[in-house]
Amino acid sequence: MTLDRRNLLKAAGAAGALNLVWPLSAGLSPAQAREAAEALGADYDPAPFTLGVASGDPQPTGVVLWTRLAPEPLAAEQRLPEVVEVGWVVAEDQALSRVVARGTAPASATLGHSVHVPVGGLAAGRHYWYAFTALGRTSRVGRTRTAPAGAVSRVRFAAANCQAFHDGYYAAHRGIAREDVDFVVHLGDYIYEHGPAGGDHVRDHEGPAVLTLADYRRRHALYKGDASLREAHAAHPWFLTWDDHEVANDYSGTGGGAPFLQRRAAAYQAWYENMPHRDASATSALPDPEIHRVRRWGDLLELTVLDLRSHRSAQNLPNGTILGAGQKDWLKGTIDRAPDSWHVWANSIMLSQLRSRPGGPYMFTDQWDGFLAERKEVLNHVHTSGLEDLVVITGDWHSAFVDDIRTDFDDTSSPLVGTEFTAHSVTSGAYSADWNAANGPLMGKANPHLKYFEGNRYGYDVYEVTPERFSAHMRVIADRRDPVSPVTTLTTFHVDRGRPGSYEDPATRNSPAQWRRD
Amino acid sequence: MNLVVNGDAESGPGGTAEPVGTVTGWRVVQGAPALVAYTLGGGYPTAADPGPARRGSRFFSGGTSPRTALLQDVALPAAGTTGHAAVDAGRVRYAVSAWLGGYASQEDGARLSVEFRDGRGTPVALSVLGPVTAAERQGRTGLLERAAGSLVPPGARTARVLLVLTRTGGGTSNDGYADGIALTLTAATGVRT
Repeated sequence: MTLDRRNLLKAAGAAGALNLVWPLSAGLSPAQAREAAEALGADYDPAPFTLGVASGDPQPTGVVLWTRLAPEPLAAEQRLPEVVEVGWVVAEDQALSRVVARGTAPASATLGHSVHVPVGGLAAGRHYWYAFTALGRTSRVGRTRTAPAGAVSRVRFAAANCQAFHDGYYAAHRGIAREDVDFVVHLGDYIYEHGPAGGDHVRDHEGPAVLTLADYRRRHALYKGDASLREAHAAHPWFLTWDDHEVANDYSGTGGGAPFLQRRAAAYQAWYENMPHRDASATSALPDPEIHRVRRWGDLLELTVLDLRSHRSAQNLPNGTILGAGQKDWLKGTIDRAPDSWHVWANSIMLSQLRSRPGGPYMFTDQWDGFLAERKEVLNHVHTSGLEDLVVITGDWHSAFVDDIRTDFDDTSSPLVGTEFTAHSVTSGAYSADWNAANGPLMGKANPHLKYFEGNRYGYDVYEVTPERFSAHMRVIADRRDPVSPVTTLTTFHVDRGRPGSYEDPATRNSPAQWRRD
Repeated sequence: MNLVVNGDAESGPGGTAEPVGTVTGWRVVQGAPALVAYTLGGGYPTAADPGPARRGSRFFSGGTSPRTALLQDVALPAAGTTGHAAVDAGRVRYAVSAWLGGYASQEDGARLSVEFRDGRGTPVALSVLGPVTAAERQGRTGLLERAAGSLVPPGARTARVLLVLTRTGGGTSNDGYADGIALTLTAATGVRT
């Protein structure tokens, strides 16, 4: 059967909802469903490596390699043996001729036929190339990079967040794939859990809201159906955290009864199966992956990855927690033991206070504003421990913010302990240009620590770090409806080592924004 | 042979609804469980409620913590028809089962998972059972059996068994219940692909 994308979308519009014409709700075979998905804007690598390859959690002597066998990526179950042997090879060159490590790993149906291979014994601070073999086929070649050790003069990395499939194509990931970066941080909302959005979208979700393991596997497979996302995974190693939409909107990891916890376990397992995540907890196990970790990039940068979903309580409780007691103690210990370097927190959801208007309420208490006592405790600990050179990188908001981090956001004389860069989203829809124009200045007046707001664009951040300076380059795409939309740099902010606070690069101070504190 | 030690909650301290600090065979990694007697009454499961046919005298409950987690690392047998060589040849299957439940129409629950790991600690297989919902229990206090199984992947050397008991809403008692936790291996004729 042949499906024409334009006619499908026209039919969807006539029907009033894309899910009425989406093939997975029409009882088609997996192969027909895949064909239809491709007609609607998804495409895949050759089987069985349809979802591509990836690497993650780079350390000085190794990385984790990932792939998942899914000959029919949108099928509920793959027509594969219970366990398939997957070969892997790591080489010093793209042609895979100078092999430095090889082996096999079992891909079990119980883990969606995914493999996560921790490769050790590699040299620090260099590129490697890798590929997988299975069922007589070979995957594409991926490139990765180990962390350096010792003195490091520069690191560059990208941060991406919020990539609603229906809201656009991943030109931002195409840009990330082409960046000269050492690694990528994903700050969450990698997938969205809801059903078809309908309306005027370039593409859409494949079926209704996802609830079961089979559902979440299919949704991850749909998202991997964007070639630019697979390209970005294959180009660089990634560090990963998550936000709410990997499971359900605004959920609390410790809330909910048995029905929700069934759903959460399915979502967590599918996330693990589809990510280059190294899971090695001493006190837990799948299906509850351990996200939080601290990694070092030589003597230049310490990266602290936070999990702000798994262990949080409900919002707005006097003794509420966004970190959970165990992770909070761990974070405070990490602060106590921090080396003299830049300190970057991968933080899925906004840390800085955000009032909607002067004297008004907090805009969203799903973010740290809903956990006031814990935020105060953590930021006071940063201050009293003498931690310097703290930069927090954040997602979730679908708009760019630059904030001064103070121990008390309502007291402009309280200690300034760091800078928060909240990045544009890859595709997920922001507020309207009218809303941004009206509310940018209002938020600026209401939040004296807010230095910059821009909400009319989509993209990602590239951070360039030297011993003397931390620079945040806001990369933006021209049009998220264009899969190859060009990338430009909207503006750049700098933080100087040993001097809390940020400043905008004079060359881009006249770039468009809806709030800028002069 | 059941590879899980004290999967039936019969060994070690307990017998009341009071949380215990240690549980024979298990590492308590969060909260504190109670090993409750079926004769305790007070709304807890009894011999007359749905549960294992041969249920012994006690079952696991979540105690008074919102989340109680118990963990057990099982070393797979080195030799024999289900030993390492047989595992690596793709000739060993596993079966995991547990009786999981809760109280009346409440959604407190118990989840049992087993994660097989290779010699370096990397997960290579996973089965998750439960939690059993109130609807699945038809609103009745008790425990229902859940089971799963698959081929043990070549290279697997350990199995991490994780029991998570969760409380929802207000109140003190964590009424996630579990009993009869079993993990067994059998020699199979599966072919490694």
